[in-house]
Parts: sequence; structure tokens; C-alpha cells
Amino acid sequence: MHTPKEHAIMAVELAMRLGADAADAVSIDDQETNVTARKGRIEAIEQQRQHGVGLRVFVETRHGPAFATASTSDLSEAGLRTLAEQTLAMARISEPDPDAIPPVGAEHPSADALRAWRARHPLADNPWTMEQAREAALACEAHALAYDSRITNSEGAHAAFGTTRTGYAASDGFAAGDARASVSLSISLVAGSGDAMQRDHAWHQAASQESLRKPEALAEEAAERALKRLGATEMASGRYPVVFEPRVASSLLGHLLGAINGRAVLQQRSFLAESLHRRIFPEMVHIIDDPDHAQGLGNRLFDGEGTRCRRCTLVEHGELRTFLVDRYAAKRLHLPALGHARRGLTGDISVGTSNLICQPGNRTPEAIIGDIERGLLVTELIGFGVNPVTGDYSRGAAGFLIEQGQIRRPVQGITIAGNLATMFAELAELGNDLTWFGTSAVPTIALKHMTVAGQTRSGNDA
Amino acid sequence: MSPLPPLPVDASILQRMLDRMLPAAADDGDIYLQRMCSESLALEEGRVKHVAASTHQGLAARVVRGEASGHACTDSLDTAALMDTARAARAIVDDSNHPQIARLHAHKTKATLYPAEHPALDMDFGARRACLAAIDTLARGLDTRVCQVFASLNVSHSEVFIARMDGALLHDVRPLVRLNVSVVVEQDGRRETGSFGGGGRQTLKQLLDTGAAERFTREAVRLALLNLEAREAPAGTMPVVLGPGWPGILLHEAVGHGLEGDFNRKGTSVFARRIGERIAAPGVTVVDDGAIPGRRGSLTIDDEGTPTGRTVLIEDGILIGYLLDRQNARLLGMQPTGNGRRESYAHPVLPRMTNTFMLAGSESPEAIVQSLQRGIYAVNFGGGQVDITSGKFVFTTSEAYYVEQGRIQYPVKGATLIGSGHEVLRKISMIGNDLALDPGVGTCGKAGQSVPVGVGLPTVRVDELIVGGTEVGGA
Repeated sequence: MHTPKEHAIMAVELAMRLGADAADAVSIDDQETNVTARKGRIEAIEQQRQHGVGLRVFVETRHGPAFATASTSDLSEAGLRTLAEQTLAMARISEPDPDAIPPVGAEHPSADALRAWRARHPLADNPWTMEQAREAALACEAHALAYDSRITNSEGAHAAFGTTRTGYAASDGFAAGDARASVSLSISLVAGSGDAMQRDHAWHQAASQESLRKPEALAEEAAERALKRLGATEMASGRYPVVFEPRVASSLLGHLLGAINGRAVLQQRSFLAESLHRRIFPEMVHIIDDPDHAQGLGNRLFDGEGTRCRRCTLVEHGELRTFLVDRYAAKRLHLPALGHARRGLTGDISVGTSNLICQPGNRTPEAIIGDIERGLLVTELIGFGVNPVTGDYSRGAAGFLIEQGQIRRPVQGITIAGNLATMFAELAELGNDLTWFGTSAVPTIALKHMTVAGQTRSGNDA
Repeated sequence: MSPLPPLPVDASILQRMLDRMLPAAADDGDIYLQRMCSESLALEEGRVKHVAASTHQGLAARVVRGEASGHACTDSLDTAALMDTARAARAIVDDSNHPQIARLHAHKTKATLYPAEHPALDMDFGARRACLAAIDTLARGLDTRVCQVFASLNVSHSEVFIARMDGALLHDVRPLVRLNVSVVVEQDGRRETGSFGGGGRQTLKQLLDTGAAERFTREAVRLALLNLEAREAPAGTMPVVLGPGWPGILLHEAVGHGLEGDFNRKGTSVFARRIGERIAAPGVTVVDDGAIPGRRGSLTIDDEGTPTGRTVLIEDGILIGYLLDRQNARLLGMQPTGNGRRESYAHPVLPRMTNTFMLAGSESPEAIVQSLQRGIYAVNFGGGQVDITSGKFVFTTSEAYYVEQGRIQYPVKGATLIGSGHEVLRKISMIGNDLALDPGVGTCGKAGQSVPVGVGLPTVRVDELIVGGTEVGGA
């Protein structure tokens, strides 16, 4: 058995031997087990093992480099040879792009840096056994069902664990491997019955069993969330202050990342395309990307092009400091490549962050809500009503009506709408409750106002 | 007995796997073997910058007993890995008795609904590149405000083999093609975008011979230019007229997911135990039909080997059926409907939609729009989502107009519409005579799995939906 790094090296060497001018490859070996407990019994066990190699081949032409990408799950020597031949043939009929960047001369981590990284982040193995996963799922679900008589049903508790090994190799001689383990536990519960049913969930993911939240704690969170939603109705349409709890606030950061994607900027598909070095948030907002953080699950030493990942500030004192770029976008936008290239087995390079952190504020969410005369606390968002070109935003929401600084009652069946540029600029306050969600950490985010659509007539909720 | 089709794995190995993995206590079990290849070309900034291909194969084994199922998959097809996979799937059932499994035999299916050859057979990379270049030229020539053009051609070809517990071996070869065009336009510093796409289970040549490239490009440019004129959408409760075709996403979100067998067997859907009840206005009949030739959501057989067909979900307003895979059908004491689907061998089977649409009524579309005193006429949509437990669903307009006194006033910006699945179909008061299916763009997500689907709708009037614009108190 070869390691993913060895498979990546083999694919690159084959491509070069067949006549490529440059090449790089990623390889993945992924093992995952999922266990579902429902109504006190193990309802499903899923085990999967998947592997593959993705190859990118460049050929030089008079009009610049041309390239293509291809992937395969056949890792035999014959399979890799077919892959190399196919990718090279596709590269030869591709259109040259003078700006395309062959995988040569990226700012790779040194051998010393690789060794030091490996020492601090040892190759991890399966963090759980099947037996432990079964016990955790059963314990979580049992605790949730017994928590309150109004918890009427369960969609089950899911325990998952696995290891992903990756390898990268480029024709300039750089090659490295990485491995990460992950363990997660989630539960989804139903409270109430008939038309009044409400569902909510809790989820946690960690790199090791020790840092995973306890099954009982997750069960209680999911149960409390589902119970608090019972009796939810609409609210009257209007302009209100809107508070996003951390688990939905993270979606606002997602929209920011989409808008500062260097490729989207080059393609004029972003409402922030002209906002570099401009103030897009109020002064108190700081957002960083940290590829080496004790609590983050997104730690990495190098990116999908072998570029060393650097800690970087995306937003400082509310000002946009950089776009997220791979080497191609970096060249065209005249920005440094800081390790944001992402690469799957298939398709082209994209960009992404490692551990994205929105620095918290000073006050508790309760204090922030306490200042609101009449507003909305959002705990769930559904739908895809975000236009990345204009920033126009309109999504379905559920949460709680705030009145005189207090949570008054649950609401659902409403929409919240605005424009992301205005929402960002008019961000009112950040909570002190920084919460990690795997690879990002976000506090409560309060916005000055958004349009809530619900009942047209002002109902009895005044 | 007809001969077995040529298999990527020796049939005797599959037989050994079935023999080892299916104890006497198992209710069901199968092996799913899949070989997929896909190719994509994408144009941006006047050049075909992305050329990509992938070839993947793998096998999944499944053992089912009662509500429990064991699922294991591998993409190593050597004998040791396959026997490990069978053992892993078997771990869900604690029973050491093994009955004799029937000899594997080819099981003839009905006539296929799509061509078996590779969908790009008649169009090499050069021809596909030329097609994208022509789209770029056309779009830029249509209007000087067009500043960016994106176009992509995707083809995939998936061959599946299903070996069932009864020894039946089923085979299906599924093509899928898709063309997408998207443009950015700019005027006086305002930028807007418009997109259009389509395709189905057909060859690329079949799609392009219909004039799809030019039609999609003209639509994308028209929509982008229309968006330059769009004003803020109203916020609040009002009547909404939905146009024909893709607005059928209303059905997919409002009732389709809620009628999937797993949620109803578990009792977590707002529609659970409501068979026989009125859940829609008289005249509303909703079906799921996976057997329409060439459609994006169609399948000759589903991923458990069940032939697809037309399943009536709602008849004249009364709920009469669910979408069922084999396991949920057995647990509910019903027949499978050919809706057991999986994204790939690496994903478990779930009951899923195929092509979901409402049958036509008798009203003229014009009369339905003219019935609006003050409301929204929504012609096209982006994506949608549903909470099947509370029944709340959303879908977001991509082409919509504000209407007053029965007359279209102006286009409005994209707004999310929200309603309750168990209430919205009761509020349908007019059904048009113009049923249309969507152009072949739908991808449905459930439990992390994406599958291609279709939807359809005649023009309908919904008396009350919440429109999530930004203008409170009317436009």
C-alpha cells in the first residue's frame, strides 16, 4: 500500500515522463464510520473508504501555458498511467491562458518547517472505536428522549469518526502529506405533535474524543432548542434590529468569504469587488484567518498549491485588508499568495480559509438583547436568497421576538431581507460569546436593522 | 435466462459476497456497483479556462433488517476489499444462519428511458469548446452592457449494477448533460447578473440540436438586463401567481420532501398519518413521475432496481401516496414506488423525488395574472429549502414582477417567499392550462446527498404567501 503522498508523486512523475511541462497532484485516502441510534436502538451503521488522485497537467504553448485537470479512483499503476495520458491529452487541446501559473516555484514550507509541524501535529489515527461511537449515540439519544415529556420523537443521534490522509506533489520537487482525524456527534429532536411539531438539533465536531462535547450536554441543548420553539407563530412585518446567534452568524461570514474570493472579484461577480482597503464594517470588527490555532479544526501548513499558509488579517478595524487568492488570482490582483488555495480531486482550484475567526466584543448576548426595544433574535435560516453580485439578501428565518429587552416568544414563517453591504456597514455589536464551529469561530452578531416580512396587518403581538 | 452484462467485478465474487453478507434474519440486502465518468468545460473571460474529467468506480454492500441497515462501501475492487465490505455491512444483523442465496441472474428491465452511449460521443472537446466560444460571442453581441460571460458544458455517464438478495442482477446506464450560461451586465455603475441552464438524460448533441445554446444565452442576457430595472420587492403577506415550469419547485419544497417515506415512517413529517386527508384545494393533483423519457429527474430503474413510474401523491386535493424505497415501503406495509435513490455508491439509499409536478387545470394564464389586485407574479426561481417538521418552506424568485389591478407594473429584486407546506396548497384558487416541466436544472439536496430532479407546474394563483422583500407597507 502506498501513502497518498506517494500516489501524488507517482502521478506527477508519470505526467512529466509522458511530456508534461509541469504538473501537480493531490491524493486522498478517507475512512469514515457513521453510527445512528434512534428510539433506543442502533438503526444504521455506515462504513466507507474512498481514495483517489487528482492530477493537473500544464503544457507550454506559444500563447502561454495550457492546462487540464482529471481524477481517478483507480490507483493501480495502469490506472495512474491512464490518468496521466488523459490529463495530458486534455491539456494539449485546452486554450492557453498567459496568466495561468504552473505549479513551479510556489513558496513551499521548508523541510524543517514540515518536520516541526509533524512533531506538533502527529499523524492521527481513528479517534473512536465502533463500540465507543455506538455508546455515545445511544447515550445521547436516550438522554434527549428522557429530558422532557414534550420531546415526542427523534430523528436519531449520529456519531461519526474517521481519518483523512492527503498528499500533494508538484513537479518542482515539493511533496508532502498530512492526516487529520475527526469525531462528531449530533442529534435532531422533535417536540410537540401534529401541526405544532418543532424540530431542532445540536452538533459538535472535534479532532479527538477528549475535546468532544459530552453526549448528555448535546442532548440537552437540542431538547432545549426544540422545546423553546413550541408555539412559534409569525410576527408583524417591519424594520427591526436583528440579532444573529453564533450558529447563524457564521453564515454572514460565509457570505463575506464568497464576496472576497479573488476569482469572483476578477469576474466582477462580487459586491465587494471594489472594496479592497475600504471600510466595509464598523471600526470594532476584526476578522483573521489562522492556519495554526489550538481550537481550530482547519489547521494546515500548506495549501492546495503547496504554498505555505500564513496567518492573515482579512478585516482590521472594519477595513478589508485582502482578497482570498490562489497563485493565479494573486498574480492578477497583485496580492501576495498566503495559502488560501483549495483543491479537491476534481475541478479547478478554489479558495478558502483555514480557521476563520471573527474577534468577539465585550458584552454578553443578553446585554445586547437587553437594549433592544423591539427586534428579532434569529436562530435558524433557510433558503438561498443571497445574490453575490449585488449583495441583495432575503432568507427564511425562525427565532424569537424581542420586546423591552426580553425574549418574548418564538417566531417562524418569516423572512429577513436587506443588502449585505449595508448589513455589514451597519453592524451594531459583536457579543463576547465566541463559539467554534469546526473551522470558524463567531460571536453573536447584532445588526441595526433589517426588513422582517410576516403578517401584513399588525397582529396581536404588539 | 439471459446472460449477465459484462461486470467490472467477477460475478462469482458478487455471488460469494451475497452468500456471506445475508443472514437468515435479514429482510433485504443488495450490492451496488457503479462506474462513473464525467467531463466538464467552462468558459470565462472569453476563454475556455477549465477542462476537467473524472473517472471513479466503487461498490457498496447493504444489509437491512427491520428499521436497521448496515452499509459499507469501497473503491478498491480487489477481492479482499470486497469481502471486507460485505463483512462490514453484515455487522448490523446478529445472526449466524446463512440461507442459500439464489444464483445471480440477469433481470430484464423495461425499455430504457435514455440513450446508453456516452453523451459526448458525437462532440469531442473541440466541438464543445467551439460551442462555448459561440455563446460568448453571441452574449457580448446581444448588448453592449454585457461585461462578463460564463458558460459551462457538463456531461456524465454512470453505469450501475444492482445485485439483489433474490439473485436478480439489474443494469442501468445513465447519461446526464447540462449547459449553463450566466452573464454579468453593467450600467451606470450598477451590476446585475442573469443565468439560464438546462439539460437532461440525453446526449449533448440532442440537447444542442434543440437550439439550447442560443436560447439559454438570450435568456441569461434578458434576465440580467431585466434585473437592471428591478426595484425593491414588497415585504408582507399577499397573493402570488407562479408561472409555469421551474416554479414547480413550490411542490418540491412544500409537499415533496414532506411526503418522502422515511420522514413519514418515523413520524417526523407534518404529513405523517394524513393519507386520505385533504391537504390541497380541490383540483390540485400532484404526481411524481420518474418514467418520462430523457428528463433530468428520470430513471429507468431506481437505485434499488425498482422500475420507476407515475406515483400520484395528491389527487384532487386529497393526500393519497408517499414516495417509497424498499425499506420504508416494507415498514409502512406499502409497495415501493421506484423512489429509492442514492447520489453514488458511497451514499446510502433514501426515498427521493424524481420529476414532481402538478397536473394542468383549465384557466388561461392571462386570466390568472389579471386576477391579481395587488401582488407578485413570479416567473422564475433560484433554489428553495424546507423544514419538513414545521412544514415551513422557502423559495427565492429570480424573475418576478409587481402587479396591480391585473397589470404588470415593474420587475422586482429577488425575494424569498415563505409558506407552510400543509397550508399553501389549500390556498391555490386558480390552475392554468399550461403545464410545463422545467428546462432540466434541478439538484435536490437531502442528508448531504445531491441527486438530479425535475419539477413542473401550470400557472397557479396562491391567495396568500409571505413575500420577503425590503419594502414594508406596499410598493
